[in-house]
Amino acid sequence: MKKNLQWKVVLAVAVVAVSIFLAYPFNDAKIKRGLDLKGGIHLVLKVRTDDAINIETDQEIARLEELFKKNSITYAKVTKEGLGRIAVQGALADQEGKTRDLFDEYSRDWDYSFVGDRANLTLKQLAVQALRDQSVVQAKETIDNRINTYGVSEPIIQRQGNDQIVVELPGVDDPDRVKELIKVTAVLEWKMVKAGPAPDEATLLQATNGQVPDDAEVLKGDPKRGQGGFYLVDKVAIVTGKDLRTIRRTTDEWNNPAVAFSLNSDGGARFEQVTGANIGKQIAIILDKKVQSAPVVEARISRAQGGVIQGRFTPEAADDLVTVLKAGALPAGIDYLEERTIGPALGADSIRQGLIAGLVAIVAVMIFMVVFYKLAGFNAVFALILNVVILFGFLAYFKAALTLPGIAGIILSIGMAVDANVLIFERIKEELAVGKGVASAISQGFSRAFSAIFDSNLTTIISAVFLFQFGTGPIRGYAVTLTISLVANLFTAVFISHLLFDLTVKKSAKKLSV
Amino acid sequence: MQLFKTPNIRFLKYKYVALGIAFAIVLAGVLNIAVFKGLKLGVDFGEGTLLRVVFKSPSNEGHIRDLLQTVGLGKSQVQKSGTSGREFQIRAVESVRTKPNDQDQLEAHEALADKIIEALRGDDGAAERARGLIDLNTLDEKSLTALLESSFPGSGPESARAILAQRNKTGIIASFQELSGLKPEVRTYLQDKTYLGGMTVLSRETVGPQVGSDLRRKAVQATIWSLLGMLVYIALRFKLEYGVAAIFTLAQDVLITMSIYSFTNREINLPIIAGILTIVGFSINDTIVIFDRVRENQKLLRGKPLEEVMNVSLNQCLGRTIITSGTVFLTVMALFLFAGDVINDFAFLMLLGTIEGVYSTIYMSCPVVLFWQRWFKPKNAGRR
Repeated sequence: MKKNLQWKVVLAVAVVAVSIFLAYPFNDAKIKRGLDLKGGIHLVLKVRTDDAINIETDQEIARLEELFKKNSITYAKVTKEGLGRIAVQGALADQEGKTRDLFDEYSRDWDYSFVGDRANLTLKQLAVQALRDQSVVQAKETIDNRINTYGVSEPIIQRQGNDQIVVELPGVDDPDRVKELIKVTAVLEWKMVKAGPAPDEATLLQATNGQVPDDAEVLKGDPKRGQGGFYLVDKVAIVTGKDLRTIRRTTDEWNNPAVAFSLNSDGGARFEQVTGANIGKQIAIILDKKVQSAPVVEARISRAQGGVIQGRFTPEAADDLVTVLKAGALPAGIDYLEERTIGPALGADSIRQGLIAGLVAIVAVMIFMVVFYKLAGFNAVFALILNVVILFGFLAYFKAALTLPGIAGIILSIGMAVDANVLIFERIKEELAVGKGVASAISQGFSRAFSAIFDSNLTTIISAVFLFQFGTGPIRGYAVTLTISLVANLFTAVFISHLLFDLTVKKSAKKLSV
Repeated sequence: MQLFKTPNIRFLKYKYVALGIAFAIVLAGVLNIAVFKGLKLGVDFGEGTLLRVVFKSPSNEGHIRDLLQTVGLGKSQVQKSGTSGREFQIRAVESVRTKPNDQDQLEAHEALADKIIEALRGDDGAAERARGLIDLNTLDEKSLTALLESSFPGSGPESARAILAQRNKTGIIASFQELSGLKPEVRTYLQDKTYLGGMTVLSRETVGPQVGSDLRRKAVQATIWSLLGMLVYIALRFKLEYGVAAIFTLAQDVLITMSIYSFTNREINLPIIAGILTIVGFSINDTIVIFDRVRENQKLLRGKPLEEVMNVSLNQCLGRTIITSGTVFLTVMALFLFAGDVINDFAFLMLLGTIEGVYSTIYMSCPVVLFWQRWFKPKNAGRR
């Protein structure tokens, strides 16, 4: 055996061995199936990044009011003028210098200007961008946490574009529950009830002459928790989800599912004080602005004691509440843009039928190659098998999922692999026909066919790279399998096939079976 | 084995006729798309909801439409899929934009899907549910495991998996007899606690307006960029006119396949884009093989007009073209005949595409290069 032939054999065996190693054992964990084949949920959601700006604006207003009070600056009122826009009204004119100093020191993210007795604050563009970006990042993390707690193997949670998040959950078969789990903002608050429940707003506000007091707000009960009606509650919360120390599922005294919580020392102290002062009154437990339950305070609740949230929970609903509260609140609301639920049966069907068809097709191609090109046909068949082996090896390595469009990519590459062999064999035949010897016909055939094979494969690879760069979901899956198998194709159809000829055909051979 | 002796067919003699035919098809297709039928956009590129459902016993499109009629959704597209007569695809077509923002529009689609499912289900299982039974055909894995575990501690997960494996074969369990693999006591327990609902939803895909237009834009963008990439590479490896010819060829491939789609009333969705790209891939492969031979023959046959060089090249490659395209055609035929519904559309596309790809190589790629040389390089027209 010639020396460079030895090296070629080593290289060929090495590549194939590595591929087998990467794909072995040939199972689900190694070769991932896309959602279209495996079933699962695909969601595209959009983060309402405006929410983050709104929250920041509200917080800034609260900060300003406190600052003014502390520094005894007189003003009429601080109002929200819009997204990231605040106005301070009244009698600022003679205190401008002092106010400027305050703004410079404490409101660095805000641009300000004074007009008469009024100051306008605008959130800086840079800060707006940062807040929006942060809210998407945080939302992604929160969703990540929730999904992990819920327990899904190999979820994909990715940011897409500016404000979108893609969630792919293979194998999950309970879409409604998961959608709800992701979507709830999970802002939990405890507030004192001023009035209610009442069947409608008018009845609720009778005691206050139809007006909502400045320090209160009207909230609805959550029908899912069996709470109807309207409540008038304090604007300021006693404690919120941020004050929670532990939270777990439990059962109440009637053995119904419920959620037990305990508070951190700060929140516990406030809770103890407020409950002590309001025995006999109602406290509303509010999730995302909906009243879950409004129990009557029967005794002072000490800081160590904690409490229980009741409300006609199903076991799943109680679990989910624990999950979202543990994972924390979303920084902004989210909307769904796209929802796909693929049942496992649909994919199973596609796989079975696709497999049968694919096998029939490949076997037909192989039989044809052997009948038509005799011994040389075995070369082609061998190269084709190695092509598929390498493809699956690298699919496993890149952790790329196999999808229906991906199978289309494989079909194209198998077609091109067959074409490469046909080109070479036809070329060898041409060279034999003009009277060349076997050895030179083989080497001429390969070298002449090479440019066509190389150009056509590379052109398609280039197009696949662009498809991957600019395409979405299924188109990307197509591009990945296509690229891998075309690279493999160049290796097997040209390099390995040539090597096989060199190994099996003697230099002195007079006839070639092709 | 030799297919035939290298023939001497003067392919390019008929270039005007052939170009005329291609042009006529494209024109008819474009007219059909632009003026008459239009392209039927699948749920990916349009918007709305696509449901795939399977029934316990065979049904038919008319019956389903009647059911939908009762809730005022008689206009929905209903299509049988598979061979069992039990599977159907339903696309809610009342997807005109009625809501001001995307989220509400998506929820409107979802609500429509719920309504369809409710209408199809009718009062099936109502009596059983009233007795406190659960539908085994829609139960998710966690709940099923919990249910079994409560009565058969230790073997819950295993039995649940076995039941689901059976259910996943067709999407629905038609009778408890199908569960003969289970322990008798488990089966009796299930018969006691659950019932078999008459219908299950295999898949449910809702695409909101924003994503629909996003996907449309991105698919077009990706296609255009990848065509440009090919143009640049071919122009560099061959000559500019070859790159331009390749683009013309691919444009013809895409337009003709789209036209056929429009004529046969099939839906364009994301996997179909992969199909169109596959046709483009085969076609470009074919074109490059011929161009490569032309490039080589130009050196061997100096002084011969380009048209003759092309004819010689086409003839020399004819054996290869027939063998390769024939093999691919057979492969795709296997897919068309044996593969399921989801692949069927794709296979149909590919069957036409393999033939069209060869045609476009001979009668689009080559003539464009010829014309280019005639118009832009009159001095050495056809000569090199």
